This record gives sequence, C-alpha cells and structure tokens, in this order.
Amino acid sequence: MNKVFNDIKVYIGIISIVLASSCKPEIEGFQTSSGQADFSKYVAVGNSLTAGYADGGLYLEGQQVAYPNLLAGQLKNVGGGEFRSPFFSEEQRNGSGYLQLKALENGQPVLENVTSNLAYRAEGKLTKYTGEIENLGVPGMRLDLSAFAEFGALNMYFERLLPDAEVGTKTYMEFAAQRNHTFFTFWLGNNDVLGYAMNGAVEVPGDPTKTLTAVGTFSAVYNNFINALTANQQKGVVATIPDVTAIPYFTTVTRAALLAAVNAGGANVSDIYIQTGAGTTRAATDTDLFVLPFSSAGLLGRPSQGNPVPYGLAPQNPVESKYVLDPAEVQLIKARVNEFNKIIKEVAQAKGLAVADAHAYLNRVKSPGIVYNGMSINAAFITGNAFSLDGVHLTPIGNALMANLFIEAINAQYKSRIQKVDVTQYRGVKFP
Amino acid sequence: MKKILLGLLLASPGILWAQGSQVNTQSQKAVGMAGAGSALFIDEASIFYSPGALAKMDHNALSVGASGVMYRSAFRELNSNDVHHTKFKITPPFAVFAALGPKNSWWKAGIGVYTPFGGSVDWGDQWPGRYELNHLQMRAIYIQPTLSFKLTENFGIGGGFVYNVGFVDLSRSIPAAGADGQPGRAELSGVGTGMGFNLGVHYHLEDNVAISLSYRSKVVTKLKDGDAEFTVPPALAASFPNTTFNAELPLPASFNFGISFPASDRVDIAADATFIGYSIYKELNFDYKDNTPALTDTRQIKKYENALSAKVGVNYQTTDRLALRAGAGYVYTPVRGPYVSPETPDNNRLMGSVGFTYDINDKWDITGAYVFQQLMERTVASAATGLTGTYKTNIHAPGLSLTYKW
Repeated sequence: MNKVFNDIKVYIGIISIVLASSCKPEIEGFQTSSGQADFSKYVAVGNSLTAGYADGGLYLEGQQVAYPNLLAGQLKNVGGGEFRSPFFSEEQRNGSGYLQLKALENGQPVLENVTSNLAYRAEGKLTKYTGEIENLGVPGMRLDLSAFAEFGALNMYFERLLPDAEVGTKTYMEFAAQRNHTFFTFWLGNNDVLGYAMNGAVEVPGDPTKTLTAVGTFSAVYNNFINALTANQQKGVVATIPDVTAIPYFTTVTRAALLAAVNAGGANVSDIYIQTGAGTTRAATDTDLFVLPFSSAGLLGRPSQGNPVPYGLAPQNPVESKYVLDPAEVQLIKARVNEFNKIIKEVAQAKGLAVADAHAYLNRVKSPGIVYNGMSINAAFITGNAFSLDGVHLTPIGNALMANLFIEAINAQYKSRIQKVDVTQYRGVKFP
Repeated sequence: MKKILLGLLLASPGILWAQGSQVNTQSQKAVGMAGAGSALFIDEASIFYSPGALAKMDHNALSVGASGVMYRSAFRELNSNDVHHTKFKITPPFAVFAALGPKNSWWKAGIGVYTPFGGSVDWGDQWPGRYELNHLQMRAIYIQPTLSFKLTENFGIGGGFVYNVGFVDLSRSIPAAGADGQPGRAELSGVGTGMGFNLGVHYHLEDNVAISLSYRSKVVTKLKDGDAEFTVPPALAASFPNTTFNAELPLPASFNFGISFPASDRVDIAADATFIGYSIYKELNFDYKDNTPALTDTRQIKKYENALSAKVGVNYQTTDRLALRAGAGYVYTPVRGPYVSPETPDNNRLMGSVGFTYDINDKWDITGAYVFQQLMERTVASAATGLTGTYKTNIHAPGLSLTYKW
C-alpha cells in the first residue's frame, strides 16, 4: 500500500514536469537576417506617401505610421540603425492641418478641417525641423522638380527641412543623396502625373506642380537620382507609380452619383455636361472620372457668376475640364504612368535594386480587393480601409500593407529575412 | 457623391463545435485510459460510453465528476516571429451519472448530465486574427435518460434520449476605428437546444473478453434569438444595430467500437475506436434579424470530413482498493487546412493519460485522471479571412470524480 502511494508521488512528479514543460505550446520562428543588404543607415526618399501625409495634411499621427517608419521598425531586427523623422512636436501635432470625418449624413461623409495645434510659423510656412533625419519624404515632391533648387522656396514641406541658407539653393536630390546611407527606399514620380491628373489634366501656366512630366525628363532625372543614391554601391528598393484610376480621388464621384444627388431634390435631370480636355462640350458618360473635391465644391446645378444656366446641367455651362478626366485624358495618363514604370524597372534591373510594385499591388487592391486577416481592403472611399480621407494618400492600414510590400521586395532581392508588419495593429479611416 | 455603402467585412462568426472542442471527460476512468474502456468499465458512466453495459451493473450508484480543461493555443503569423498565446483559461466540463434499478435485475435505468463539447479560448483583441476572433466560450450540456436491458447474462442492450442545451458566447473585433483609433467589437451570445439519442450493446464473451458497440446520433442544436451586440463608433451605429440572430449547429454523430480483455489477473487492456460523422458540418449560417448593408446574413464554409480516433489503455488493479491506469490515443482531425480557425485550431492529436481509482470503502470511491493532448503544429491559410500562420495547441485536463454506491 505504502509503495503504491510512493509510486503516486513519482507519477505526480512526472506529471508536474510534463505540465511545466508543455503547458504553453511554443512555435519555432525563423532566423531573421539582413541577407546581402546593410541596413545600418536606411534613408527613405520620396514624396507625401513617404512623409506619412494623410487625410489631406501632414500631421504627427500620420508621420508616425508612414511606411518607411514601419519598415524601419522591422529593420531594427536585422541591423537597422536609428531612423529619425521630422516629427511635429506634440504641441503642434496637427501640423499642416488635415481632414477628419465629422459625420455620416444619410450615408454621405461630412468632412471638416482640423485647425487646432497647427505648426505654422507664418502663413504658408511650417515650423522648421533641421535636425538629422532619415525619413526624407517631402509632400508634393516631384521627380522633375527634385533637380530644381528653387523648389525649396516654393514647397513649404521642403522649406521646413532646409536651413535658411539652403532654401532655394539646394535641390532635393542633393538634400537626399548626401547622408552616408547604406540602404535606401525611393518612391518618387507619383506627383509627376498626379499633380496634372488631380487638376483634371489641365496645366496651369506658371505652376510647375500641375504639369505632366515628359518621358525624357523623367528618364534623365531618375537615372541621375539613382546614380547619386548608389554612388557607393548602396542597395535599395524603388517603387512603381500607381495607376491614377486605382485611387478613390478619381473613382468615387461618378456621373451616376452626381445625377442621383441632383435628382434627390425632385428634379429630373438625365445628363451632366462636361468640357473635355479637347475643348468640346458633351454629356458625361460613366467613363468620365470626376475628381473627389467636385462633390463638395457646391457648384453643380447652381448658376455660375455671369452665367444663369445651372452649372453642369446644360451644354451652355458645362463642368469645367479641371474637374473631370475624360477617357482620352485617362489614357494619356495611364500610358505615361506605364512609361515611367518601365523606366523605373529598367533602372532597378540595371542597378540590382529591388522593386516594390505599388502599381500592381494597388490595382489588386482596387480589383478584386484584398481580404487581410478578416479585414476587407479595397479602393472604396472611406470604407475601403486603404485610402485616407483625401482619396489619394494611405491610411495607417495602407501604410502597413505598403511596408510589407517593400519588405517582400527586399527579402526577394537581397535574400534577407525581415519580419512582416502586423497590419491589424493599424487603423483605417477614423469614424466619429 | 456615391452613397457610402459600408463594405466593412463582417465575416460570419464561426461558432464551431469541432473536434477541438470535444474533450471527452465523462468518466474519469476512461480519461485515465485516454478515452478507451467503453467495454471494460461497467458503471454508471456506461450511460454515456456503452448504454448496453448499464444493465450489467450489480449495484446502484451516483457519481459526480469534473475536469479542468486547459486549452492552450499558440499562433505565429507567416513571416513573423511574434508568437501569440491564448490566455490561460480553465473550462470545467462536468458529469453527473445516476444508475438505479432493482438489484440483480434484468434492467437498469439511469440518467446522465454531461458536457460532451465545450471549451474556452481567448486570444484577446491584440493578435493578428482579432477580426476573426477575440474569445469564444461554449458548452453543450447533454441530459440523457437511459434504459438498459440484459437480454442474457452476457448480452446487454440500452438506449437513451438526449436533450442538449448549448451555450455560446464569442467576440471579435470589427475593423472600424473610432475617434481613438481603436477597432469596434461584436459580441454574440445565445442558447440553443437540440435532441438526439444513443444506442448500444455490450457483450461478454466466455473468456472475459468484452465488446461494446454504441451509436450516438447527431444533435442539431438550434440557436434562436441569440444576442448580437456591436460596439462601433456612433456614426456607424445604424449600420450595426444591436439585434438577434439564429444559427444552427450540427453536433456530429459517432459510432464507437470498444473491446477489453484481461492480460493477467490484475491487468486489463481496453481499446476503442470511434468514427465521428463530422461531414454533416458543411457550413455555418448566421441569420441576423435586422440586416443592413454592413450587417448581412453570413454563410461560412466548413466542409468538415469524417474523423476517426483510436485509443488504448491499461487498467492495473494494484490492490483490492487501488487501480492505476494509463492510456494513449490518436485522433484524426475533421478540419481541412483552409477551414482551420482560431476557435479550435484543430489538427491531428496525440493523447497520453494516467489515472487511478481508489475505493475508500464499499460505498465510496474516488477516481482521478489526467490527460494531455498535443495537437500537431499546423500551418494554414484561412479560406475565409486570409489569416495565415502556424497553430500549435496543448490541452491539459486533470479531473476528479466521486462515486457513491449502494
């Protein structure tokens, strides 16, 4: 009998050991590695997307989740060094100001501007940030203007980052390439089409941000810039330029939606009239893309100054060309984007750089859409989770997905093993 | 302006009464043998394991038992090294059996109240699968009155009626951020009922070899008017109205074959094979009473396969008063890779167990058991949500029961 109880003690001992060792299941991970790349000094070169611009403005919360910052967070495990961004202070956290969703009225979004805690030191001038940084993203930066020193005085986001003596005298290319980096991401070129497209494919004399960059210029500057960034055989990733029709800025306001809005008041209108890029006036079709701000411009159906005909509802007072991309304009822009992307891929190939194909990825987000861990992600305005309230820039979810796109590209090109970002940690649009 | 249709994905909440939730702890004697012993043990728990054996009891008895099931899962998302663990939770499945009838008669009646399915898993609201599941708690309580008859000295037959009351409570995050940037949350809870039956025969061969055959029918549990509550930003409240839902959960039928034979005077060996008809679990539909464009009825594909488990155990009667036992078993999962979900991240599993029964006196005995189940590591990509990664699960279930005989 006693012996049996002694045995039980042994059994209990065995059980305790089993319990202690196997209570929590462990799953083995993988060995992270930098592969053939050196991430000790990573710099991010780019425009608003790189800076973390979102919801129509640059503000601290957006800066913190910019895709380069999320990428840098993952690079920490594979030899990544410090990654500094020109963050706005907590006191001036709302930076340039931005849009927020105030309400959904009958399912329609009502947006408002955030105007507190801004970071302006004077009208059109932001509080300077001239400390050492690695996130070099400048909202509004174009590839063609990256070689123009004068742009430093015209763009408040670039001006903010330059010491006074360098404003208007230093090009963005110089600003970016002289930082002793070991690795870089490069995502420029979007604004070389987007500035033009967002203005309905209407160039504005004297405004260099609304032109469509010529292919020759693009090729020359792109090569120069990449040559500068790879002067010491540095490795890096370049990203392609998304299709403009993949972003809600151009796909949310449709002819049908405008007609529905006009007819909601009891009217019986069947056509919206537009002025095409070629200068003709005709009834709009479903292939004409109206820009997002047109819906809130308050013009449609109202008499214009000096013209009593309701705006957009009759050929005598059509929707101006700057509010609409007609199919010919869409084709022109798409073709230009494709030519730019061809150059980007060729340069990457020649230099042995990784390519983050944002063009292909965002087209996939648009159609058929992505289901990511139970989140539906698509190009729908507000509810699509990928695009912020300006219809162009990414939400934190969109930034996290983009960071993973870059990580996949780096891993594939340089045989590194960098962990992915957990996208579910990030939000889409904030609802009131 | 295009009217905003809230296309926020609300995939169907996947209540799942799966293999993963099935931890058989009805009799601590059987638990000690990894689930084997339906032919060997002739006692009040035969109501569950082998109703044909019940009439062979030479006494009346009442037993009360409970287990502490600790279901511990871990998940690592593909291409990430972050391992997420479920919170430590103990579910207490219980079993009460009473066997009554005239002594040494040709019949016996009994009633069992037990929890054949149940579990609690809590991943929290910070893990990568948060939009699939935060937590799930569920329990099916079966109430089973049973009659058993001895047709010959060696042959018993029995059957019972099963009434099931099922409870479920689950939550998940909704990908709609409020002003604080935090996601919303859906909570669903409900009670369902269903009915079924079980049947069994038990036969003793001349040389003390015993055979048990039993069949447990499926029990389709209908959840009616469960509560669906949504915590979302106020602007979305109209899209996610608090409402009720109906759902139907089929609990599978099973067919069990058990055999036992003595290896020596004091040692018995028992083996059981169970075939479980999980293929009835084809899909899970949720019917919300109030639908909106964001909250539509859902249909989730499950496509379960039939499953099989095999268990073997040894019972060693060390003295007249103390029996020690040990067992091992293997269970094939009914869940195909793309349909594995965090509710019960199932896979084939290995079981090992130890147990004892100590007769305190002629009237009382106490039984203890401990079973450990290890679910093989499994890397899956969810067909419904795209969640891709590796699951691994350990289940610990120590238990105790007390029997009074007269």
